[in-house]
Amino acid sequence: MPGAVPPYRRVQRHRPLWMLAPGAVLTILVVVVPLVVALHISLLDLDQYSFRQWVRAPFVGLANYTEAVRASGTVHAIVLSTSYAAIVTVVTLPIGVAAALATQDRFRGRGLVRSIFLVPYVLPAFVVGTVWRIILQPDGVANGLLARLGLDGGLWLNGPRSFWALVVVQIWASWPLLYLLALAGLQAVDPVLHEAAALDGAGWWTKLRYVIFPHLRGPVSLAVIIAFLHNINNFTLPFVLFGVPSPRDVEVLPVLTYVESFQNFRFGLSAAMAVLSLVLIAVPLAAYLRAVRLDVGPDGAAEGSRP
Amino acid sequence: MTAKRVLSVLSGAIVLAATLTGCGSDSGSTSGGETLNVLIGANTIYPEQQRKWFADISARFQRESGATVEFETFASPNDELTKIQTSVLSGQGPDIYAIGTTFTPTVYATGAFLELTPDDWTKLGGRDRFLPATLGISGPDRDHEVGVPFTTRPFVMAYNRELLTAAGIDKPAESWDGLREQAKRLSTGGRYGMAIGYADSFDPWKFIWAMSLQAGNPLVGDGKARLDEPVVRTAYQTYLGWLATDKVVDPAAVGWKNAQAIAAFGAGRAAFLPMVSATSKVTLDASAVAGKYGYAVMPTIPPGATARPGGGQDATSILSGDNLVVAKYTRQRDLALALVKLLTSPEQQRDYYQTFGELPTDASAAAALQADPALAAMVDSSARSVATPFSGAWSQVQLALVNVVVQSVPGLSAGRVDDARLGTLLTEAQSSAQAALDKAK
Repeated sequence: MPGAVPPYRRVQRHRPLWMLAPGAVLTILVVVVPLVVALHISLLDLDQYSFRQWVRAPFVGLANYTEAVRASGTVHAIVLSTSYAAIVTVVTLPIGVAAALATQDRFRGRGLVRSIFLVPYVLPAFVVGTVWRIILQPDGVANGLLARLGLDGGLWLNGPRSFWALVVVQIWASWPLLYLLALAGLQAVDPVLHEAAALDGAGWWTKLRYVIFPHLRGPVSLAVIIAFLHNINNFTLPFVLFGVPSPRDVEVLPVLTYVESFQNFRFGLSAAMAVLSLVLIAVPLAAYLRAVRLDVGPDGAAEGSRP
Repeated sequence: MTAKRVLSVLSGAIVLAATLTGCGSDSGSTSGGETLNVLIGANTIYPEQQRKWFADISARFQRESGATVEFETFASPNDELTKIQTSVLSGQGPDIYAIGTTFTPTVYATGAFLELTPDDWTKLGGRDRFLPATLGISGPDRDHEVGVPFTTRPFVMAYNRELLTAAGIDKPAESWDGLREQAKRLSTGGRYGMAIGYADSFDPWKFIWAMSLQAGNPLVGDGKARLDEPVVRTAYQTYLGWLATDKVVDPAAVGWKNAQAIAAFGAGRAAFLPMVSATSKVTLDASAVAGKYGYAVMPTIPPGATARPGGGQDATSILSGDNLVVAKYTRQRDLALALVKLLTSPEQQRDYYQTFGELPTDASAAAALQADPALAAMVDSSARSVATPFSGAWSQVQLALVNVVVQSVPGLSAGRVDDARLGTLLTEAQSSAQAALDKAK
């Protein structure tokens, strides 16, 4: 609808840009300076021996990066983190949307159901990890239930199945985020549209597919990106569930970075890892920022997908 | 969030340091009533008593010197580490730290703590008044000591007297092989011979270290790691074999931390509980085995032997406990030393033992406890503890040792310890330990 573009307001002169200064100073202090320092550290051989006078730590160029990629478990960890985050995000998406649809219409006890749905999300990750750690013990509740079904539970907190334990627990803990954002999207759908669809005789699936989903695309895709970032950056859950040293199947990037920094004292190496993971995160982040910009674009094309 | 958190902790600290050094010394101390800051581990078993102890020490030190003491606690070793890192970097923070013995080499490596001169030792009441064994990890050598022994927590083994008597065993064995045989006899009727925390982040390396040292291999020597030698392999096979092949440990123990092993023993489900300190007494005295258990030193004859081989050491435990270190940046060096003297004085140490159950490091205070039969094993083990290698890389070696166990656990359900897999893991551990030692200065 090119004809519908509203005229831009001309307020460009006399804009009091200096009022942005406090924000800019904060941004520089909180974001830019630490980032630059981190980049600098990643180029130093900084460890427990050179820590006290870190400025004089030997400069090693990109050696930390090559070590991170070649000698440490970084590549393994990146693959692990990405695949785990992707699986969790893909599985939580339909769960979250379905839960949002189920609690969209008014019914007795809806408030209660909605609150219960949020429980996993409001529990601190530390608590979630501790509780699941107890549930997933070799002689824990989970294996007890499986045994009743005639299945041998086996080992969940170590070995190949630990990866799936992490995935399942993270799904349990993180689907409410998608639910919450999908619900927000649903609430924003104009009730007139529901009526119109009903008048046109659309069945529930047709209505869902052609009327509701298009409106959900915006908020849900943002939710997906945010959820993915959350998952990939999740430290507390794997740390509490599996401890360190971490079983190799769940040695995700945040845990590896932590171990290098706070157990092995290789600050330079771990800074390099952190920078690498920042790059990793930057990819979906770029997509996210792009999505946000498109949403508030002046052409109104994404109207209805207000996050 | 964590990559970012690591970055921000690091860089936040650095920015802070830069700003503070930039400001220079104009933020100097407010003269008059001086304040000493002490960082010490939070005592989760006796939180109330610890608060009272803080108040008592503060009041007493105020009377003696006019200065106030402020205690700050840390909840976990990681907390402590972050605090030390920030303080070391910014050159300000607590004046005195209570740190674990095995962590002392790492702390020493930062070069941020006061090396005690003979004069300093005199101010502390003399180096000779401490139990010689407790000084074993104060520094790399006598001239470069940073740690003043504060408490000692030697490791021993708890055993269920009733179960042993019922099986006709008069006392715990003195060799690891003997202990395994006893454990086999005791593994009947839903009970197991031993309770072991295979998923603990620290316990496993203490076993491996002890068995290796008893066989003559201290794991680290002259800057060389020796993790891939046969005695180390035997140690792992023994330790993992208890569960996999000997079946003397509950299969669920692959998920246990130390506390869960203590709980299993407390419930009467295991006959031996190796690798516990005096702090386990509180839990056990409130458990089903209260009054039915005793403590003994752990075996000191390495696996596969009937007598300790030449070169093997009579190590009952790692040298475990806490040291006090004084930060180099402190502005009240003499005051700090005076407080350390107070904290390690025989009288205070006796009080500390009576309140928290941690053994004194002062020789005269320790001698007074020797008479107590309940403590005999601990006092014995304290005197026979051996310090872990003094190297700034020890934390990494430790991590590499535990990692072997963590990565071996999934294979144990097959009912054997996979030799080839163990070999690969040991080679990996050896190379990461050696890499860490190569960087040590």
